[in-house]
Amino acid sequence: MNPIHPQAEQEAVSALLAGRLTDFCHGLRGRGFRIGVKETLDACRIAGRFMATDYPAFRDGLRSLLCASEEQWRAFGPCFDAFWSRGEQSPPSAPAPMLPDMAGDSAEERARQIAGRDGEAEEGDQEGTLTTGASAAQALRLTDLSLLSAADLRQLERLAERLWRRMSLRLARRLRGHYLASRIDLRRTLRRNISRGGELLELVHAGKKRRKPGLVLLLDVSGSMNQYSLFFLRFAHALQQHFRRVHSFLFSTHLVEVSEVLRGGDLSAALELLSHMSLGWGGGTQIGESLQKLNRDYGDSALRGRPYLIVLSDGWDVGETELLSAELQALRRRVSKIIWLNPLLGMEGYEPLTRGMRTALPWLNVFAPAHNLESLLDIERHLVG
Amino acid sequence: MPPIENTVWLEQRFRAQGYIPEPALLTSLYLQARLARPLLLEGHAGVGKTETAKVLAQVLDTELIRLQCYEGLDANAALYEWNYQKQLLAIKLQEGDARSLADKERHIFGREYLLERPLLRAIGERDAPAVLLIDEVDRADEEFEAFLLELLSEYQVTIPEIGTVRASCVPHVLLTSNRTRELSDALKRRCLYHWIEYPDQEREREIIRARIPEIPDALARQVVGVMQSLRGLNLDKPPGVAESLDWALALLALGKSGLDAAVLEETMGCFLKSNEDFRVLRANMEGILATMPGA
Ligand SMILES: Nc1ncnc2c1ncn2[C@@H]1O[C@H](COP(=O)(O)OP(=O)(O)OP(=O)(O)O)[C@@H](O)[C@H]1O
Ligand SMILES: [Mg+2]
Repeated sequence: MNPIHPQAEQEAVSALLAGRLTDFCHGLRGRGFRIGVKETLDACRIAGRFMATDYPAFRDGLRSLLCASEEQWRAFGPCFDAFWSRGEQSPPSAPAPMLPDMAGDSAEERARQIAGRDGEAEEGDQEGTLTTGASAAQALRLTDLSLLSAADLRQLERLAERLWRRMSLRLARRLRGHYLASRIDLRRTLRRNISRGGELLELVHAGKKRRKPGLVLLLDVSGSMNQYSLFFLRFAHALQQHFRRVHSFLFSTHLVEVSEVLRGGDLSAALELLSHMSLGWGGGTQIGESLQKLNRDYGDSALRGRPYLIVLSDGWDVGETELLSAELQALRRRVSKIIWLNPLLGMEGYEPLTRGMRTALPWLNVFAPAHNLESLLDIERHLVG
Repeated sequence: MPPIENTVWLEQRFRAQGYIPEPALLTSLYLQARLARPLLLEGHAGVGKTETAKVLAQVLDTELIRLQCYEGLDANAALYEWNYQKQLLAIKLQEGDARSLADKERHIFGREYLLERPLLRAIGERDAPAVLLIDEVDRADEEFEAFLLELLSEYQVTIPEIGTVRASCVPHVLLTSNRTRELSDALKRRCLYHWIEYPDQEREREIIRARIPEIPDALARQVVGVMQSLRGLNLDKPPGVAESLDWALALLALGKSGLDAAVLEETMGCFLKSNEDFRVLRANMEGILATMPGA
């Protein structure tokens, strides 16, 4: 018997099948199933493993992946049969799947760009080993991302990876809280009493340990800011490697959580899948609606414990400003800080005059540029304050 | 540890341990290992949720680590505690000792004073992944659940005095729930899910034969027939597989070779738990006996 190699599983899934699986997941989502990117990615693996060789296991596998309750378990069979036996159709009563709103070419290009560095997998923590030398590196840090050549960009990515790693390690150390506390803190009691030969004269009571806030990253992936969003995605990825409580979301016309995918470390696989997803990359941004979804659906997870919220967006908004304003107001009550990074802010003479940006401004704690590496590194300052 | 090669292999091994699984469960277990996701098992009482984890550990020839959840269970009790008695003793013994306070402290907060609780043990140093059974997770409170979710996402934990412990190999995590409360969306999404259904007639008979080989086939069929009818009634506590097995054993012990109204009346306490359910059985006695095989 041959053990199955994971690579083989993934290779077996064609882009067409990945698209079908994405549509299927989307249809289920319309019926109340909670399915994220990670699940869709795993659905591809299951299809690759079982679809051709063991069809019942394909169905059973998807069911155990995508269901989360007895009710869904029972509803799944009919949905599966309806979708997979009737060719092109989506599950009954599901809204029509939204197709990725981008040309095939640029999608691939984008996935490749973002996946770019993965082949090299180089480690190393000292900045000093940079071949370009310190002054070149410094120049790179300050250059506007949209002005970089492809070669420069790769170089910058390598540099950034190191700097981010260090920054996030530093932050993680400072922000990490822990859950372990007992009413009488025996640990500290013992410590305090070591000098007394173990007579427990002084009991130390554990104060309620306050949990340090987590991070929520919201990344605008609408067409108006490609270069920046790709870079910021890497930034989110770097942060997630070192924080326990980071939730990352992409948004444009709607909001999608991508934390688990980023945490997995396999950026290239994640991005490939993202390109299949009905994300509406390049569509107009509806910031208000995306924030509404955050408020409504992630109160118990991402927003738990008053996290810091970082939004990276140029504020070009096609949605309603009243909604945006109301949702930001609601968020202000739930998060410790709203940090809005705007790449345009680095441009000389830029003023935040777009409708969306003007609406948002009153609710922000920090409004800062994010047009180059230096400005992203600067976020550290706002996170420990 | 033998890796889970495929579902056929898994089925053979499960059956060899006397566990007769539904085919879909094997797929879920296979994927649990393949996708390295925890598997959440739900189903009515006594359908083999807990047993699944026990048998998986046997099948994989690895340690079963069980965390029984209860209300008020906290991270400390589930993860690790310091052996305070031993620490106190050490402090006493060090009393005249010239070492610095810091040294003494470092010593008594070293590994040898650490009591590993199930969760730490599951991610601790080991050659092959253990099976971690987090049983009846719905009984623990939500805060613990959130803590659990983090552990099951990262498979690492930081002990302030010692540092970060990261799983050398990710355990096979199985959770069970009896749905006394809803688990959080986040935990459910992290997990694969499997609803274990009552076995059908054929499989339940196999289960009884596997667990109680000495039972005459005719009796096993009758037991199963009655059980399947009972589950169709509106009972307070419908009998699970556990009850079928208990009952079959009791019938053997009492020397019964077949079922009738008198035998049912005499032994119904083996598989029904309330007077109300006794009453329902009595009211439906005729129909149940009529559909029973060999009646
Ligand atoms: N498929 C099976 N094959 C063999 N034995 C089984 C099977 N299913 C259940 N059993 C037996 O039934 C009994 C009950 O199983 P178990 O305790 O695992 O149920 P459970 O679902 O955990 O119940 P509870 O909800 O009450 O905890 C055990 O003795 C187990 O061996
Ligand atoms: Mg049990």
